[in-house]
Amino acid sequence: MVECLNKTKVLTKGNYAIANAAVIAGCDCYFGYPITPQSEIGEFMSGKMQELKRAYVSAESELAAINMVLGACSTGKKAMTSSSSCAIALMQEALSYATSDELPVVLVSVMRGGPGLGNIFPSQGDYNQSTIGGGDGDYKIIVLSPSTVQEAVDLTYKTFYLAHKYRNPAILLADGLLGQMMEPVEFGEYPYPEVDHSDWALLGAKNRNSRIIRSYSPQEEPQCEHIRHIFEKYRHLEENEVMYEEIDTEDADLVVLSFGSLSRNVKAAIKQLREKGLKIGFFRPITLFPFPNKRLQEIAGKTKKFLTIEVNMGQMVRDVRLAVNGKVPVEFYGKPVGSWPSVEELAEAIEKAVI
Amino acid sequence: MEKNFVIAGFGGQGVLLAGEVLANAFMLEDKKVTWYPCYGAEMRGGTVNCEIVMSDEEVSSVNKKEADFIIVLNQASFDKFEPKVKKGGYLIVNTSLAEKIENRSDIHYVFAPISEMAEKLGNVKMANMLSLGLLMRASGLLSVDILEKALDTVLPVHRKNLLPLNKNAMEMGYKYDLLAVNC
Repeated sequence: MVECLNKTKVLTKGNYAIANAAVIAGCDCYFGYPITPQSEIGEFMSGKMQELKRAYVSAESELAAINMVLGACSTGKKAMTSSSSCAIALMQEALSYATSDELPVVLVSVMRGGPGLGNIFPSQGDYNQSTIGGGDGDYKIIVLSPSTVQEAVDLTYKTFYLAHKYRNPAILLADGLLGQMMEPVEFGEYPYPEVDHSDWALLGAKNRNSRIIRSYSPQEEPQCEHIRHIFEKYRHLEENEVMYEEIDTEDADLVVLSFGSLSRNVKAAIKQLREKGLKIGFFRPITLFPFPNKRLQEIAGKTKKFLTIEVNMGQMVRDVRLAVNGKVPVEFYGKPVGSWPSVEELAEAIEKAVI
Repeated sequence: MEKNFVIAGFGGQGVLLAGEVLANAFMLEDKKVTWYPCYGAEMRGGTVNCEIVMSDEEVSSVNKKEADFIIVLNQASFDKFEPKVKKGGYLIVNTSLAEKIENRSDIHYVFAPISEMAEKLGNVKMANMLSLGLLMRASGLLSVDILEKALDTVLPVHRKNLLPLNKNAMEMGYKYDLLAVNC
């Protein structure tokens, strides 16, 4: 296990970095069930959480793990689990409950190949699983997507903060490549204020009226009101929390989009083509929900075409098309699963799209 | 400037650790660096490798098609990686466990009996650190001192006693006469 607390700059694996950042963010409870390619998160937590006298439970299943997180979150504690693709599929019901219960669930998702059991190679096939999800009813999950190990650390902090600020589940969406690679990182301190949960958390009803957290709501109007209240939070998120990276879109004939660690290959390919004189811009949504719709609409007014590149069969591309609403064509390039397309392959694909 | 390295051998030769030391050394030199292990359903007794990409800017990608420098510690790795050396790049070969053959004329070969040299020094397990010394000699990118510092960073407290021996191995690799072999 990599010991990385209390050091300024360390070379560390993405999974360890995320786990260590969660510890620094003040994670009180970790519940998990191992699955490649994110098992190092649970491994790190199994040692560190006990050392710090915080809660660590190796759950009997993913279902148990996520529901333990719901339980711990109902007391206002910072609780998390981490898992991967086919196992996160098992957690969808709990995520739906947690949005209605308004619980600050933190889930780290390190994508591998699917569908079904798939394989352990990196993939971006769970964009839809994270942003749309498979639970019932009207809800949204906050989704943050890092592209480097350093950003995985920074966004782990942010995932905790946003989950607690908005009392809504939040996913840090990484991939097998980012989880397994080592890069230098600085952890620093948790940069966000602590959120006060004393007005709703279940901490014992001594000297006050009892509280209840439940998603069941048998009456029509109160349920409508509840959902409108939840969606008001989503509106706030869309107005205030959108994050993205944007390069050279001002004069671009073509704007290429990608998310996560694949973006680095894409950026390198664009750099090569820019040197050849082609006017190509780059755009990377960092928050997948809230999606940067507004900014994309603005760019669509200036550029001629969008190209979305993903290691899946075309998932984020749908959100891009919705955002630009037919203003410009949105093309797609990708592969289903496995090693990221090389810079050369991407440069060729992008050059084809620019004409 | 971006340079990439592959270190390959069989499980147990310390290939991943050598890569970790190399990546740490670049970090200590304030370079951007990414380390990535071979990854998939690996087989016991099979080959293992890792890729290190060093850059002055953000590292663009791993899983590159070719590498500037490749260290192969056994025959299977030689067979797999000889075609993947970039034109003009270096292939460092452990001739204790791989044949001394040159199938290409557009790359530099560095042949050395790495395992035997490590054994002479006291422990065959130091072949990985010795090969890093050779790599530094061939590439001229880092000093042995930085490598040693990097190893110190990586080693847990209860293994620090192994530092002097491993430094000797790095130095032996660094001082190995590349010209006499083939370069």
